[in-house]
Amino acid sequence: MKALVANIEDVFREAAARWTLVAYFFLSTLFIIIFASAVNLDIVNGALAGAKLFGKQVEMRNNEISIEKLVLGFESGFSVILYFICTFLAVFATAHLVPRMQDKGTVDLYLSRPVSRVGLLMSRYGAGLLLAGSNVVYLIGTIWAIVAWKTGVTHGRFLAAGLIIMFVIATLMAFAFLVGVITSSTAVSIMTTYGIFFFGLMLAAHDKIAAAVSKQWQANLIETLYWVFPKTAELGQSVVAFVGGEAIPERIASALSPQPFLTTAAFAVGCLVLASWLFTRKEF
Amino acid sequence: MNRNLRPDASYQGSMNTQIEVSGLKKHYGRITALDGIDFTVREGELFGLLGPNGAGKTTTVKILLGLTRATAGEAKIAGLPVRDPESRRSVGYLPEGHKIPNYLTARQAMRIFGRMSGMNSADIEKRIPLLLERVRIPQWADVRVKKFSKGMTQRLGLACALIHSPRLLLLDEPTDGVDPVGRREIRDLLREEAKNGVAVLLNSHLLSEIELTCDRVAMLRKGKVAAFGTVEELTRKQATYKMVATPIDDSLVASFRESGAGVERVNGHVVLSVADVQHLNALVDKLRASGGMLNELTPVRSTLEDVFVDLIKAPDAEVNPK
Repeated sequence: MKALVANIEDVFREAAARWTLVAYFFLSTLFIIIFASAVNLDIVNGALAGAKLFGKQVEMRNNEISIEKLVLGFESGFSVILYFICTFLAVFATAHLVPRMQDKGTVDLYLSRPVSRVGLLMSRYGAGLLLAGSNVVYLIGTIWAIVAWKTGVTHGRFLAAGLIIMFVIATLMAFAFLVGVITSSTAVSIMTTYGIFFFGLMLAAHDKIAAAVSKQWQANLIETLYWVFPKTAELGQSVVAFVGGEAIPERIASALSPQPFLTTAAFAVGCLVLASWLFTRKEF
Repeated sequence: MNRNLRPDASYQGSMNTQIEVSGLKKHYGRITALDGIDFTVREGELFGLLGPNGAGKTTTVKILLGLTRATAGEAKIAGLPVRDPESRRSVGYLPEGHKIPNYLTARQAMRIFGRMSGMNSADIEKRIPLLLERVRIPQWADVRVKKFSKGMTQRLGLACALIHSPRLLLLDEPTDGVDPVGRREIRDLLREEAKNGVAVLLNSHLLSEIELTCDRVAMLRKGKVAAFGTVEELTRKQATYKMVATPIDDSLVASFRESGAGVERVNGHVVLSVADVQHLNALVDKLRASGGMLNELTPVRSTLEDVFVDLIKAPDAEVNPK
């Protein structure tokens, strides 16, 4: 526990000193400002009289759209953007945690303390999650608060969607840690993690890709990769489905099935176990 | 080379042993970094590890800290095998060319490493000013490490190594980049720690530092302990003595030579090379028999550097391992 506290202090101090924390929260704040200025609602006597989103007038159709419905609509739409922003920023802010720790002259200082290597790696992972989590809470929490302030509508599901986003961040971080342990390179960790994120998006169309390839082994490979890699597309859809609840079309709502969560969790656990094993075996 | 000074067997397994190394081997592929070394370091002892580049000093320290694994043999710290992280609870380590994260202040670095050593916050906060005072950088407590000179970074590294009051200090070139006054201060600090029962393993290329600081020394060569003993034992030129006596006339010198001794006149005294102590006593008897008066008879010593260079230059067959 003390190692975890020490690592949290170390990670946050490094993030602050290297401007990562400032950049992280600056970009998030920028997004919040854009969001706050893009959403203009005209509420008269508690009812929605008119609305503008990104300068575009929302068709009111004789006041058929309730404020509740409108808020739910743009919150679920916005959650996709948040999904991408939060995960991308998190990978940028945390990919260096293992490579920097493994620097010659630094790793000796950490490993000469009475902490097991797995304990050290996991406490670093926990500290990284806390750093990413603080930004997710700031970003989603602030947008939720602005919406609540402007409309009086409070959707707890929008806040809770942050948990799904954190789940994806935890998975990507696990992979970044694995690459970090193997290569000791921040650049490679960032590139490969983004690579796997986009690969996961592409593999959502695994059925179509497998049908399009000419050989059976290629189709099998595509299917295998689909099952092994994190389901970044499905999880993005599940964020929308979770925020939208029953108001979401069936096609998107089906993304909330357990399969993408379970297989992605297995991938994350696999990455962490492998990273721990390799870190334990590594000679410095 | 006849420095057959074996690691003292009486140290093995004694209650106050901090480091026990036996039959330690390390191979990096086809390269042999360590070829079965043995030594022990006791509480309160200042122990020097010497050797040319690639002799296996750093590998030994890395194995002791669990940074790398031994191919064969055993290494223990405070009775615990080094693969057990608990063995490092009482170890303070200062690596060569260490990189304390430069975004931290001295206080923050000590706080983080103190916590990682299992200390609670109250104890850490108490130790920080004391240690910064001891390493003579109290005014730099809240300055970021990136502003530190090399010598100051080294002092901070030492303070970080001492934060949890270790019983064993492993120091790799601790005076690197430190000015002469600072070196003396560090030497005094290490002696003080040793006086309090802390075992100190010093790994340094600065032979004069080792000579001035350490009680016992192990010299490594090609992965083996080539010489071992106290600094005094290692620097004593075997069977060479300085004799100051009056008179030492030519006939006496001639009779010394007749007995097989090597005799060299140097600034009013003679340097005698004898076969053994009996031979030396025989020469003293000759001096007395001739009516001479013995004023001084002392073993001639070389510097640790001489010993080191001799050892490195000697052919393999002349080096007496362990």
